[in-house]
Amino acid sequence: MSSIRILTAELAARSDNALRMLFDARPDLISPAVPDFAALAARACARVSVARALDKLNQPQSQVLEVLHLTTNEDLGLSATASMLKPLMAGSTVSTLDAILRDLHARALLYRDPAQFGQPVKSRAYLPVSSLKDVIGLHPAGLGRRYVELVRTQPSVGVRLLQTLKALQQSGAGVKDASTPMEAALAMHAWVDAPGTLERLLSGAPENTQGMLDRFSAGAMGAIPNAQRIAGPGINDASPVDWLLARGLLVPLNNEHVELPSDVAMVLRGRVIVRDFSVAPPAPQLRATSSSLVSNAALGSIAEVLRLETELLAQVQNTPLATLRAGGVGVREVRRLADALRIDTEMTTLLLELAALASLLVLDVDTSRWRVAQTHWQQLPREQQWLWLATSWLKADRAPALVGQPSSRDGSGGGNASGSAGSGTGSKTAGTGLINALGAEAYRPDAPVLRKQTLAIMLELSDEAAAASTDAGDTGTSPSAASAPGMVPVLDGAAILARFQWRQPRLARRLPRLLPGFLHEAELLGLTGSGSLTVMGSAVASGKPEEALAALHAALPRPLAHVLLQADLTAVAPGYLSPELTAELNLLAAAEGQGPATIFRFSAASLRRALDAGQDAEGILDFLARHSATDIPQPLRYLVEDTAARHGRLRVGTAFSYLQSEDEMMLQELLQIPVLKHLGLVALAPTVLTTKSGAREVAAALRELGMAPAVLESDGGGPVKVPQSGPAVVQPGRASAREPAEEDIAAQLSALRSKPSWVPAGPETGPQLGLETLRQAIRLKKSVNISIVDSNGNHDQQVLVPLSVSGGRVRVYDPGREIERVVSIHRVMDVELAEPGAPTGDRTDALAATEVALADTEARDR
Amino acid sequence: MTDGPLIVQSDKTILLEVDHPQATEARHAIAAFAELERAPEHMHSYRLTPLGLWNARAAGLDAEQVLDTLLKYSRFPVPHALLIDVAETMSRYGRLRLEKDPVHGLVLRTDDYPVLEEVIRAKKIEPLLGPRIDPMTVVVHASARGALKQLLLKIGWPAEDLAGYVDGTPHPVALLEEGWKLRPYQQLAVENFWAGGSGVVVLPCGAGKTLVGAAAMAVSGTTTLILVTNTVSARQWKDELLKRTTLTESEIGEYSGAVKEVRPVTIATYQVLTMRRGGLYPHLELLDANNWGLIIYDEVHLLPAPIFRMTADLQARRRLGLTATLVREDGREGEVFSLIGPKRYDAPWKDIEAQGYIAPADCVEVRVDLPRDERMAYAMADDADKYRLCATSETKTAVVERLVKSHQGEQLLVIGQYIDQLDEIAQHLDAPVIKGETSVKERQRLFGEFRKGIIHTLVVSKVANFSIDLPEASVAIQVSGSFGSRQEEAQRLGRLLRPKADGRSARFYTLVARDTLDQDFAAKRQRFLAEQGYAYRILDAKDIATTG
Repeated sequence: MSSIRILTAELAARSDNALRMLFDARPDLISPAVPDFAALAARACARVSVARALDKLNQPQSQVLEVLHLTTNEDLGLSATASMLKPLMAGSTVSTLDAILRDLHARALLYRDPAQFGQPVKSRAYLPVSSLKDVIGLHPAGLGRRYVELVRTQPSVGVRLLQTLKALQQSGAGVKDASTPMEAALAMHAWVDAPGTLERLLSGAPENTQGMLDRFSAGAMGAIPNAQRIAGPGINDASPVDWLLARGLLVPLNNEHVELPSDVAMVLRGRVIVRDFSVAPPAPQLRATSSSLVSNAALGSIAEVLRLETELLAQVQNTPLATLRAGGVGVREVRRLADALRIDTEMTTLLLELAALASLLVLDVDTSRWRVAQTHWQQLPREQQWLWLATSWLKADRAPALVGQPSSRDGSGGGNASGSAGSGTGSKTAGTGLINALGAEAYRPDAPVLRKQTLAIMLELSDEAAAASTDAGDTGTSPSAASAPGMVPVLDGAAILARFQWRQPRLARRLPRLLPGFLHEAELLGLTGSGSLTVMGSAVASGKPEEALAALHAALPRPLAHVLLQADLTAVAPGYLSPELTAELNLLAAAEGQGPATIFRFSAASLRRALDAGQDAEGILDFLARHSATDIPQPLRYLVEDTAARHGRLRVGTAFSYLQSEDEMMLQELLQIPVLKHLGLVALAPTVLTTKSGAREVAAALRELGMAPAVLESDGGGPVKVPQSGPAVVQPGRASAREPAEEDIAAQLSALRSKPSWVPAGPETGPQLGLETLRQAIRLKKSVNISIVDSNGNHDQQVLVPLSVSGGRVRVYDPGREIERVVSIHRVMDVELAEPGAPTGDRTDALAATEVALADTEARDR
Repeated sequence: MTDGPLIVQSDKTILLEVDHPQATEARHAIAAFAELERAPEHMHSYRLTPLGLWNARAAGLDAEQVLDTLLKYSRFPVPHALLIDVAETMSRYGRLRLEKDPVHGLVLRTDDYPVLEEVIRAKKIEPLLGPRIDPMTVVVHASARGALKQLLLKIGWPAEDLAGYVDGTPHPVALLEEGWKLRPYQQLAVENFWAGGSGVVVLPCGAGKTLVGAAAMAVSGTTTLILVTNTVSARQWKDELLKRTTLTESEIGEYSGAVKEVRPVTIATYQVLTMRRGGLYPHLELLDANNWGLIIYDEVHLLPAPIFRMTADLQARRRLGLTATLVREDGREGEVFSLIGPKRYDAPWKDIEAQGYIAPADCVEVRVDLPRDERMAYAMADDADKYRLCATSETKTAVVERLVKSHQGEQLLVIGQYIDQLDEIAQHLDAPVIKGETSVKERQRLFGEFRKGIIHTLVVSKVANFSIDLPEASVAIQVSGSFGSRQEEAQRLGRLLRPKADGRSARFYTLVARDTLDQDFAAKRQRFLAEQGYAYRILDAKDIATTG
């Protein structure tokens, strides 16, 4: 019976609460909503969904699932119970295993063996859903394939095994004789599996053989040059690899790769699959640091990042950033920006990325330049600015730390290069190598979930350390480093990675490349300080950003409204200056230095800039007097006045609006037209007239004369637009789109309950069921009854042998016409096995027997 | 966060708010490891440099104390990267030690094997080292002590010099504190120097650097070699030592172009030491002529390059550098550090002034308008001539006359760069000129008469910049400066800073031609003094008659 059908019945029988838990654990099941239980079951069995569910499993759960996967066979109806798994997992107990199995079952990754219904709770038998095999891959629990499996899937292995067997027999090893590859595989299995064989063999192995074998414990495959070399026992087996190959303990798959068969690995592991089963996560040894240092580091970093980000926006406002043709912002632009900000390019890149992912910078599609977005970010109080940045970073599907690293395109180019010498040079020129700032290659859709989990793990580790310290304090045992008062644990990358690997081993595989970047960025944003989670960090990690806001509000000093003017022609801002004042001072003087206080140095050049912008000496001195805590020093007063006195090249007049045209004749004409006299037109230059009237009035008068003037914005930037053109970018919301809300779940439940529990072949169920049947048939090498609709809409029922399914198509062998062809899945209306039924009997024997039977069929086919 | 007086910047500067109640406390705390960079009126700025931090380590301060100080007095969070950097930098000092080994002599020893490996592989260091004794120790050629220290500093692994100093020939010297006492800051400077072994003491002009030297000799109690800039200054050292110490005429020798005496205390000029004849320095043997226990370098900011090279060979002798400004226009502060020693004492000028040990000074920049014809000449002149043209404007002479008139009765110096201009002014004022060609005897006579008040006005070229003690001079008029030299401006002001008998404040005029290069250079020269807290008033030449 199909796993989808069984699961459908099971899900329909579950209580609402159980379903809620399921939706909670696998929100993608009801997003978008499903029409009925059959569809729900089909989705739960779909590869993508199973892969997502597996990502969320912790280490013991994954281990149980993998072991269950190894010991069951859906086709043969072989299920497993907790007590069957226990001997294969060292350190486990039946009750913990059963609890995990029930949890996996609740997540709809397993279903109960219908043949074993009615067993007591403790000895329930389970089977994994069928797509698990595809998701877990070739090497569950780091084990390779069995000899028989290798022989069946790789004919070359069989030939090799036969040779090896002969050589072994000649050397006097007690191996059974074999005439077919399959017999050889079984003989090898029996030989290796016999108690004492391997121990005896290994005692005579060359040095480092054990070390070599240990390297296969995480992954069963290895890359070895010239893997198919001929080696026999006694001759040519000085190195560990030769020695292992000669005895068939390593099996070459092709000339580059070898695999350690699970028959061997199991004996090496002491006939258990998992050697270190534990439901408790590894407890890391963490260094400690003082909490005052932590908050010092975090607050310092936050103030710095906000200050630099503001300065960066001001720079980009002046000169938008040009993009490269390949995408992203080039090194030269970044360096220019870095020089202006007086920081290094790495930091500049990070700030740029941060600004872009917070939508403070946007790509202008018309000019293909990055410009400052219209936001109210710059007007926000600093704690709000921080929250905006921090939440945007958490959600961002980019990994800023990847900028500057080799791009992945380059990596694939390298792969090609090894294939042919010619393409090697080609790829070198094509991929210039490194990922650019704001380039598309730093896109990492999994970044948000990894960031969220990393933060959660940091919170968890911190809480554990805190709990440990109170325990230690209560019991009076010797306190660890982190438990002294005022001390907090330092969360190093290794500890976080180890915990992540325990908590979500599958997801953790993507982490090592990103984690250093995450930690650095978290440090910048003050979520961590000096390596420890800060008040802000734990508030954000536990989903309470308002607490972070409050903490930050209390910690950040209020903006200052004054500077100290000094006789060495500087103004020192002793702290964070209000943004308006900073902007004004930036116009009057050049900022120096880097840090919480800014030093502005006045010079003739800087003052000239201000004068160019339309200020005068009186205004400047007045501004300085208003915002200075002290008197204006005389040298500064002289500098301002002298510079202003020399600054006479600009003439200033008053005009209400102006007319500008390249057509000098037309402007001359306008001056002559009597009806326009009241506008007070004056020619300033051949192509510019000024008027004493407003722009709209002038435009209206010109339109009456049949002209079509364009009215420009007051700053002359471009045509006047409707106020608030384009939606202002709003602060990114806090709720994640992927988490279904409570009302969605309720609606989903009532929808499900309103339908009969089994609707055959609904729009979502049908294809999944069909695929499941096809895959089963491929595994069992059986033919199917398949109903295909052709392009004219005609149904046609055929008996075919499916060979493989991928990419929406199925490759089939047509026994009637003795040809192979390809059928599109969407043309397949219905599929069922032509000859259902499966052998039953003792587990291992049955498994082996099936393999043999399959191999025989295969040989006959050939 | 506390509400402290410091703001620690991420660019490794520290700002100190002077008016803060904790400012003094904080200044003392950070002075040990940070170098004062600028000291304008409200916000002093210090810089954290590897040199400064290593210096602090040498004085027994550890990284934790430094970090504590920063965190304690900082108003805002201290950049974390800076804290880490400080700890890391400080941990580099002393990983390598120069020691005396009873068997092998001078050795370089370490507790950190990789550091020694790194160092001995450095190309320039290799030839300075002898055989390896054990994995942690390598022999150093005794003559290479200075050069090795210099190179180690350059590659970031400064060695702790524990090899000590030669004792030198004992020669007891005592201070004659009759009617005067060593001032507290002088006392502190000597103590700091002695505790540190070798190093530089920075004090403003007129604050009594000679006495610091004399006190150091008293502590040392050995034969002493004093290196000074010129003969006049050598005579002044001699007079001062005779007056303030138990030394007698027969114990003090002068070693200059004119006289070559080697006595227990010998005063030599840089010029005679660096004189070359046939590619050799014939007078260099003076350095080894006696077993000197102390070598004093006066005006260390002027130390010529050959002296540096000689000093590299003198690392076994105690060295004291004296200066008013450690600003070297040639940027060789690092060499002063590694060869003479780190800065042992430094005080902002204004602090000493506030304590009443140097006269308060009023700096005035007088702006002069060039007459039309000179303006045209200036506009059309070659770049090379431009500065001379504007600096020697004729209008300045008239202004000088007016200024001299308004300060009638006061002891007045007119200082300038260009001899023609000085001659002309001297003629107008009917005052004597001291310039390069004036003989030492004549100079001494004129200075003597000036001190006694027989003549009131002296016109001097840059020969009088340094080490000339003219305590009664209270007004100086600088008619032209030497381009943008900051230390020269400071030295010239320094001539006026000896406390006056009547407690009068000094007046320093600098004449500047408006809207010309003169003004740009003046601004540059004034930067050091402005940073020391001396604010320039600006005055228009037209207003002079009414003021003063």
